[in-house]
Amino acid sequence: MKNTFTQSMAWLHTWAGLIFGWLLFAIFVTGTLAVFDKELDHWMQPEIPATEVPQADAARRAIAYLQAHEPQAGNWGISLPSERSPGLRVSTGERRHGPTVQLDPRTGEAIEVRDSVGGNFFFRFHFTLDLPRNWGIFVVGALALVMLAALVTGIVIHKKIFKEFFTFRPNKGQRSWLDFHNASAVLLLPFHLMITYTGLVIFMLIYIPAGVDALFAGDNRAYFQAQGNTRLEQPRGLARQPAALVDVAPLLAQAEARLGPIGGLNIRNPNTAAARIEIRPGLGNRIALGKGQAMVFDGVSGQLLGDVAEWRAAPLTQRVMAGLHFAQFGGYPMRWLYFVCGLVSCLMIASGLVLFCVKRGRKYASAEASVRRWYRVAEVCNVGFVSGLLLACVGLLWASRVLPVELAQRESWEVRAFFGVWLLALLHAGIRPVRRAWVEQLLLTAFLCIGLGALGGLGDAMRLGVVACALVLGVLLGLLAWRVWQAQWVPQKARAGRRMEAGA
Amino acid sequence: MIKAPAWLQILSRSCAALLGGYALSYAASACLARILPLAAADAVIVATLPAFIFYTAAILWAFACSDALRAWAPLAVAVPLALIGFWPQALEWLA
Repeated sequence: MKNTFTQSMAWLHTWAGLIFGWLLFAIFVTGTLAVFDKELDHWMQPEIPATEVPQADAARRAIAYLQAHEPQAGNWGISLPSERSPGLRVSTGERRHGPTVQLDPRTGEAIEVRDSVGGNFFFRFHFTLDLPRNWGIFVVGALALVMLAALVTGIVIHKKIFKEFFTFRPNKGQRSWLDFHNASAVLLLPFHLMITYTGLVIFMLIYIPAGVDALFAGDNRAYFQAQGNTRLEQPRGLARQPAALVDVAPLLAQAEARLGPIGGLNIRNPNTAAARIEIRPGLGNRIALGKGQAMVFDGVSGQLLGDVAEWRAAPLTQRVMAGLHFAQFGGYPMRWLYFVCGLVSCLMIASGLVLFCVKRGRKYASAEASVRRWYRVAEVCNVGFVSGLLLACVGLLWASRVLPVELAQRESWEVRAFFGVWLLALLHAGIRPVRRAWVEQLLLTAFLCIGLGALGGLGDAMRLGVVACALVLGVLLGLLAWRVWQAQWVPQKARAGRRMEAGA
Repeated sequence: MIKAPAWLQILSRSCAALLGGYALSYAASACLARILPLAAADAVIVATLPAFIFYTAAILWAFACSDALRAWAPLAVAVPLALIGFWPQALEWLA
């Protein structure tokens, strides 16, 4: 431990940043990609047609399909086509966990769609690291806390915060890495703080259930009841009495007038006197995250039984914070803003990791063997967790198109491809000289990104957007690889030039 | 006084940051939830929102203070806060 406050904070920033930065980078990259999760879903499942069908027509076709195939099911779930997700999905069983069928919204016929984890994998990895859900939430929460501590210590140790705001000295080795790390951190400091803190707020009562423990004796159900999140009582006896289902189109229109664009609907106890139609809003209608909200209609008379609740100030605050993190509001301009800000966050973390090694490279070159070995571990992990993760992400996109469509358990093979590529990248980093490992992995990632268009998916604007974005990112990564390659050779060339001058 | 080896100090401070920080933010949230003049459902949310700020402060404290023993101070602060937060339960337990 160091003596002064600033020194001890710098120590904490350096070591916590190094040890947890590798996984934080993975969380930030997948989170940035998850901004466009639905678009990636759409690209990874080329069988889904890009159509624009009015939601009411799509809903009628979905109900006709369910009437024909699942008239006895206790619950019908329907996800309606929307701007970002043109597919029509129906399911049976509770809370969308049942078997799911993709329909063509134009005809209402079932279509064969390849199984794919889709962009949803990045979303899930972002908050669970693909661990079992509850474990993952705690691990990611702990990492987010470290991120928060790293941001605050970063502010503390960064004395000339306003002066260096405008400072960037390129091509100066270590100085440039530090300048870049500082500039990317300071420039978007509000974003870094906001995204980290709101990420913690989403699951805050899972992390710190102190309030529920103190005031509700740890009874979560009692807490949710006090929040007013109770489901309407299901009328029991009527569920066996057959009755015709009301036409949903007017109900959808009524809900849309009240809520804005519709995300989907649930029909409980269809074809009985107890039928209930729950219509839920799309997620991006307002900043506050409206998950779990729905307007409830009687499925026989079409009468409105339950409206969406108005949130009180405290729950509204929490939901707005969650909404700020989920970035569903504001349409595509806001999505792009979050994507670019997320990229800057990733660059900040990566440059900090690289800075650690650049700063110590010369010092450790003459150190004893055991110290050099630890330094080598840091170098290898830097390559494997930064460029290796990028390679794994684009590898997943390739796997979704390259793996045979009829492969059994196709989704888990995609996930295996992701982790397999990541592991190979770590091994590759372990056996290659560090500069070469960087260049080779960055170049391969760049080629895979640029080549994404070769796998098809140029049919509609959304898929074209995915390919074009990958192309741009690929070119940028290629340039980065070229710069790393250059940085390796320039000093030697310069030395050679000097030698020649000396000789002449 | 014998100075503990560096790795032990780091381990102790890390544990203090993790466990002491958690205890502090948990107890502070419980205490706030109890004393805030709000409906119970609202108090839970308002009291939990600042928890991560307490946690971050505790982590910084654990590594900033010069004495490795004092790094555990958040754990000590947590005790009275928890007593306020859980006093009905505490009274019940005593009775």
